[in-house]
Amino acid sequence: MTRYTLITVLLVLASFVVQQFLPALTALHHSRVLLVQLVFLCAAVTVGQPTMLLLAFVCGFLWDAQCSIGAHGGDPEIYSQPVESLRFGYSILLFGAMGFLMQGIQPLFKQGKWYFSALLSGIAILLYLAAEYLIITFVRGNFIFTKATALQMAYTALLTMLFSPLVFWILFRIASWCRHSINPEAAKKRRRHF
Amino acid sequence: MKPLNLIAILLFMSGAVWALTRSERSVREIQRGYFGAIGPFLKSGSQTEAYARSFLDEVQHSKVLEAEIATVNREIGRLHIVESRYRELERENTQLRHALDFKKTSSFNVAAAQVIRRQPTTWWQTVEIDVGEERNICSQLAVLSNEGLVGIIDRPAKDRSSVILLTDEACQVSAKVEDSPEVGILSGQRGQFEGAPLLRLKFLSKNAALHSGQRVFTTGRGGIFQANILLGTIVSVEKGAEDSEALVRPAVNFADLGTVFVVLSKEPLKK
Repeated sequence: MTRYTLITVLLVLASFVVQQFLPALTALHHSRVLLVQLVFLCAAVTVGQPTMLLLAFVCGFLWDAQCSIGAHGGDPEIYSQPVESLRFGYSILLFGAMGFLMQGIQPLFKQGKWYFSALLSGIAILLYLAAEYLIITFVRGNFIFTKATALQMAYTALLTMLFSPLVFWILFRIASWCRHSINPEAAKKRRRHF
Repeated sequence: MKPLNLIAILLFMSGAVWALTRSERSVREIQRGYFGAIGPFLKSGSQTEAYARSFLDEVQHSKVLEAEIATVNREIGRLHIVESRYRELERENTQLRHALDFKKTSSFNVAAAQVIRRQPTTWWQTVEIDVGEERNICSQLAVLSNEGLVGIIDRPAKDRSSVILLTDEACQVSAKVEDSPEVGILSGQRGQFEGAPLLRLKFLSKNAALHSGQRVFTTGRGGIFQANILLGTIVSVEKGAEDSEALVRPAVNFADLGTVFVVLSKEPLKK
């Protein structure tokens, strides 16, 4: 269990490095695979609540460290209406909320129905992007929601979701290597069957 | 609820509150630490990426020739900027030759840099360039291409820096329109990901007599950008009840950023 948790944390950290080299797909409305979010979501459904919250904190904290931009600066007399930046740390709460969403269907995952979790990961990504965009709009004002923005969110969610079986496969391999069962009810059923 | 879960939630909330209450300076320190830690991975990854790209190009060019072309291209770009700057100074000199108090001698020192990659953010439009504090790069320096203003340095690291592009909503520039007394604030627009993005020039006067095709330059006011850097060309003007706004096509092709130049020596900026 401890070994699995540690490796999951390392997997999340590795996803931050890989994410740096995943380009946006211009042909698909500048959508991209959000690997960090995907690894977190898939891992969140395989662990208990305390570990999920730890992962959410690590992911949110590092994501903001990676993406936050500084204040514009300049003479306030000229730039009298600066564009507000989002506060460092807001992603921690978003990751936490997504984690709770994923844990909502943990009973199904424990029964071996991982595909529900894979589908939900896509929905969670879409909600994450929508929430992030709404926060930006709330902070900066002036609600602008273009078709391009909607398509970018949808394609990003879809594209990311397509990779969730691969991440689940990796997590299952890690769990088996650590001799830890992440879906105990399905394992019991299998044993009964044989 | 299990006591362990309750404790975990309390710890998580305290952690979130702690992060949300960090000052700008602490955030910069955190970012410095983060990028310092993943720096070696980024460096080796970027090198591999660059190597793969050059390997594909090698069908037609030898490595030596390619290096020479890259150097020459950088030099051409740099000279374009220097030349345009000298032309501007020449024009200014002609205009002010009778002014007795004209004593300004400006220098326009730039550092050439390559765009390494676009950063993996969803909403912010930023790129990373391959020069940093080692080359005296600090935050809030203007970044140019030979076409015009690219953006502003946001977060310099040891050997790389992050640049906020002009197309980002957060990058505001004090701008003026040629052959017109109109000045305003130019910035990117939210949610523009497709095609050539347009910029918005705000806070123009209510009856601004502008037309499409007029060029937009930096005013040099505000303490960040030097004067007379080309920003773009007006596409259309929208008249409002209190002021007017213009849509501006950027001079720089942001979809194809290669070599850029960071303005190192700031000439006296108007406050």
